[in-house]
Amino acid sequence: MTVPAINIEHLRKAYRSGTVAVQDLSMQVQEGDFFGFLGPNGAGKSTTIHCITGIATVTSGKIEIFGIDAVKNYREARRLIGLSPQEFNVDTFATVTQIVDWMGGYFGMNAAQRKSRVDMLIQRFDLTAHAKKQFRELSGGLKRRVILARALVHDPKLLILDEPTAGVDVELRLDLWRYLQELNAEGKTILLTSHYLEEVERLCRTIAVIAKGQIVRQGPKEEFFTTPGGLEKAYLEATGHRAEHAVAGAA
Amino acid sequence: MSDVTVPRHMGINWIGLGTIIRREWSRVWRVPIQAFLAPWISALMFIFIFGFVVGGNIRLIAGHRYVEFVLPGVLMLNVVNAAFLQSTSQIYFQRFLRYIEETLVSPLSYVEMIVGSLTMTIVRSVVTALGILAIGVAFHATHMYNIFEFLFWIISVSIVFGLLGIIIALWANNFEQLTMLNVFFIAPLSFVGGVFNTVAMLPHWLKWLAYANPFFYFINGLRDSMIGFDEAPPYLGMSVALALIAVLGGITWRLFKIGYGLRE
Repeated sequence: MTVPAINIEHLRKAYRSGTVAVQDLSMQVQEGDFFGFLGPNGAGKSTTIHCITGIATVTSGKIEIFGIDAVKNYREARRLIGLSPQEFNVDTFATVTQIVDWMGGYFGMNAAQRKSRVDMLIQRFDLTAHAKKQFRELSGGLKRRVILARALVHDPKLLILDEPTAGVDVELRLDLWRYLQELNAEGKTILLTSHYLEEVERLCRTIAVIAKGQIVRQGPKEEFFTTPGGLEKAYLEATGHRAEHAVAGAA
Repeated sequence: MSDVTVPRHMGINWIGLGTIIRREWSRVWRVPIQAFLAPWISALMFIFIFGFVVGGNIRLIAGHRYVEFVLPGVLMLNVVNAAFLQSTSQIYFQRFLRYIEETLVSPLSYVEMIVGSLTMTIVRSVVTALGILAIGVAFHATHMYNIFEFLFWIISVSIVFGLLGIIIALWANNFEQLTMLNVFFIAPLSFVGGVFNTVAMLPHWLKWLAYANPFFYFINGLRDSMIGFDEAPPYLGMSVALALIAVLGGITWRLFKIGYGLRE
């Protein structure tokens, strides 16, 4: 049996304010999977991701990345992860090239490795004309591309994408979907959070739903389509909403 | 790259460490007037008014012109400011703009993050010091009695105030808090630490203040290294500096380890 890409056991995260964002969360993401992590705003998706990547401290519980303890052996675990966060967390006065290049540097890539990888990603994400521009000068869609290029610079085995297509146009979204499918086909494990159910439906093979800091449903995508109403109805039921109310409210 | 470990020599991710320094160098060079020109102009004014104009009417101090006596104090004042501003601004802006998360998610150790920040702090302090030495040359006031002692003081004081700056930047939640230590502690103590006067010039009842002030030992040590004049044993000052580095370094490492001000 292969070691899971992510193994979380009884994760609990309480903030200093006393708010418990995640409580007793356990889940596994298998190597090579395209994993959808769904939940309403404030359910604990980003907090869980922050705990996995080291942006947040873990109150209790265990997180392993390809079998490596993400707290005790954090340096070994982090070299395997690429993160595209929900919010832009960059030096906004730095140029596109600098942002991607520096990230490669933190991961120990030498100048030649960085040059080749940065050039490839800037070209892949259609950023060549903007390579020398400061981040703050870019549009929202271009900023999102830079963040994705930065996440991929060290060619991580595990890619974590927190709302990667929020605020981007249809063309980029479709292009990104194609690229993510290519990366997954090449063997990369991808964990994706999104509010676009269509996105999760199209890309993911396994889905977990989180509500109030706990996993309320998890399984292969097909299991979410066994009842009429498909993923949307299954999602709303799992998060404690009645589908009819939600539809009526939307209307 | 996926299965390749991060290259480390002697357990250190040198490329990652170098990247922190490259990033900070780039950030400082976006504001060269603020980072370098401002302290040089400030030092020039101090040296010209206090050292040259006022000092022209002051008798020799231990065989040295007043401008020669003042220069090490002015230099130390600016090194302290450069070190503190560099470390507070680099850590605080990383927190403020959240790009501290770039380093938190990467395979850098806490020590590498701290050493990277301190290295750039030392670089900025040394460049500031070199500029002031050059200004001193124009006033025939720059002397070098012991270059190794001079380097010890520039580097050790940069580390002390670099560490202090990191701690303050981790604690501060706004720009007001960021400047509090400078306004209420660093500026007053550095001015009464013997920049412009000897301890002998102070009233008898105030001399204890000089000896209780760590800035006095820093300025006294630097002055000893430049013109060979001291009012306290330099080794005592060196012990104070090294003890502060050990204590502040330990606190900083601990704060990084528990994620204080860094991690949610």
